[in-house]
Amino acid sequence: METRFSGTAGEIARFLERRATEPVNIPVLQPADPFLDMAGEDLRSRIFLTESETGDSLCLRPEFTIPVCRDHIAKNAQTPRRYGYLGEVFRQRREGGTGFLQAGIEDLGDPDLAAGDARSIADAHALLRHVLPHGQLQVVLGDQAVFDAVLEALGLPRGWQQKLARAFGTSDQLETALAELARPQNPAGQTGAVGKLATSGDQTSLERHIAGAMEQAGLPLTAGRSASEIAARMIEKQRLSETRLSADALEALRAFLAIRVPLKQASKTLMAFAADTGLDLGQRLDGFETRVREVGKHAGLVDDIVYDGAFGRALDYYTGLVFEIAVEGSERPLIGGGRYDRLLTMLGSDMDIPGVGFSVWLDRVDKLAGDA
Amino acid sequence: MSTVLALPSKGRLKEQSIEALQKAGFPIVQADGGRTYRGAVDGHPDIEVSFLSASEISRELAAGTVDVGITGEDLIRENLADPDSQVEIRVRLGFGHADVVVAVPDVWFDVDTMTDLDDVAAEFRQRHGRRLRIATKYWRLTQRFFSGMHGIQVYRIVESLGATEGAPAAGSADVIVDITSTGSTLKANHLKILSDGVILKSEAVLAVANRQRPKSDQGKLDALVKSVGNAI
Repeated sequence: METRFSGTAGEIARFLERRATEPVNIPVLQPADPFLDMAGEDLRSRIFLTESETGDSLCLRPEFTIPVCRDHIAKNAQTPRRYGYLGEVFRQRREGGTGFLQAGIEDLGDPDLAAGDARSIADAHALLRHVLPHGQLQVVLGDQAVFDAVLEALGLPRGWQQKLARAFGTSDQLETALAELARPQNPAGQTGAVGKLATSGDQTSLERHIAGAMEQAGLPLTAGRSASEIAARMIEKQRLSETRLSADALEALRAFLAIRVPLKQASKTLMAFAADTGLDLGQRLDGFETRVREVGKHAGLVDDIVYDGAFGRALDYYTGLVFEIAVEGSERPLIGGGRYDRLLTMLGSDMDIPGVGFSVWLDRVDKLAGDA
Repeated sequence: MSTVLALPSKGRLKEQSIEALQKAGFPIVQADGGRTYRGAVDGHPDIEVSFLSASEISRELAAGTVDVGITGEDLIRENLADPDSQVEIRVRLGFGHADVVVAVPDVWFDVDTMTDLDDVAAEFRQRHGRRLRIATKYWRLTQRFFSGMHGIQVYRIVESLGATEGAPAAGSADVIVDITSTGSTLKANHLKILSDGVILKSEAVLAVANRQRPKSDQGKLDALVKSVGNAI
């Protein structure tokens, strides 16, 4: 672990040790593909990319979670494992510095998800409490799984659920998606012979027709979208062309997204929401409640947490918990974290390995520690 | 100080640029019968003419080594990080028309709009074990359009410096972002443009580098821009 840094870095390195984490060394130069694959091309303009002499795309590590998970997979390590890290990450910015100190804990392979979630928040909270003993900490907690449960309980078509689920956490995108679904859907383009087949819902004939057209166009039949995938989506589009998001569903979604309450009241609020809207959230909230109970086992934590129905992170490997911690008066969060149960398989792990973790922006912490 | 005017060094774009300047009263004389990349303007000894590739012109405008130049708007928007503050597009010249578009295989009967493509991209990894691939040489425009305007995050850009339209059939990409003027090459390669997939309607432009220059130089530059504007 790199401890040559000033400020609170030494303190935090010792904190990570006390929290029984295993230090992990991540090289500064990383293959770029895993980051671009996971986070998307948007990252390209914000990271430092370079090329090896053999043409491989490399970058200065822009964060730790992905390389820590890749390192775990490469070592074929046993789980559960708690990795701690501290070092610089690099991001391109028009102004200001480009190297930032980050530290964090990644908790891999603990099958008790609720306890793991609570421990991650507790670790993050305790870390800040330790280096900023006088600040009032504010934890915002969100949960993709609760939003998914609401979508499912509303009985929305699968495609709509997915569309809304992936806009979750980005308010203007979610707004756009909602507005779009509230309009009558447009079955444009479904004309001619193909359109007729789609309207008839005859998937087999439609598929055959598309496969023929693909062959004619010289498209490789195995490299990308298949005829059956295209046919199925056409039929689905046709089926949804005359439906739209109902006013009730829209209202329920807006009410849900507006929920922002202390975590202690969150379960009650969600149950009241379910009763008001007539949605059967049933057992779908069990995981949420178990997590709240687990959080309660960590002294002095639950009162600092607010649950925000609309809070999420629009990346497809985040599966449940997301959280941020700020100190009253700080403009930006000092810590961001969450559960990424899909990440390790996406990075090539043969086994399903659940993961949860957080990272802290040390420069922001140091600035506050200096001001205090 | 002399003013540096950069013009495309070859092809239709070069001819049309010279023609536009001729009409504006700025006849271009290319040194050594056209075999060098330097030139002059007859009657304007204080203007230096430099023939560069259209792509280079956009970059040199941003770097400030060229004061004024003719190039494609697509190249300005693609090559410059912050085009609106680095250069000013003063005259749209009405030639060199080309659209930068998103095109998908025309057998993707279910995909007509960017919203459709968003759905396809989101599920791509689950279905095919990799992200949707976009072949293009316009990675900046692509990224701004997909991520910035349409909130599509999960895709990969495959850099393609030529024959981009062939990428889907070759299996090296699923969709493309490329330039088209008539659409015939797209059609020949069994590709269709998404109904809301026009990223930029580009044409040749007269652009001026945004920087401080002596008053007399700025005055001459403005006069050149005005004459070109009036002549088209």
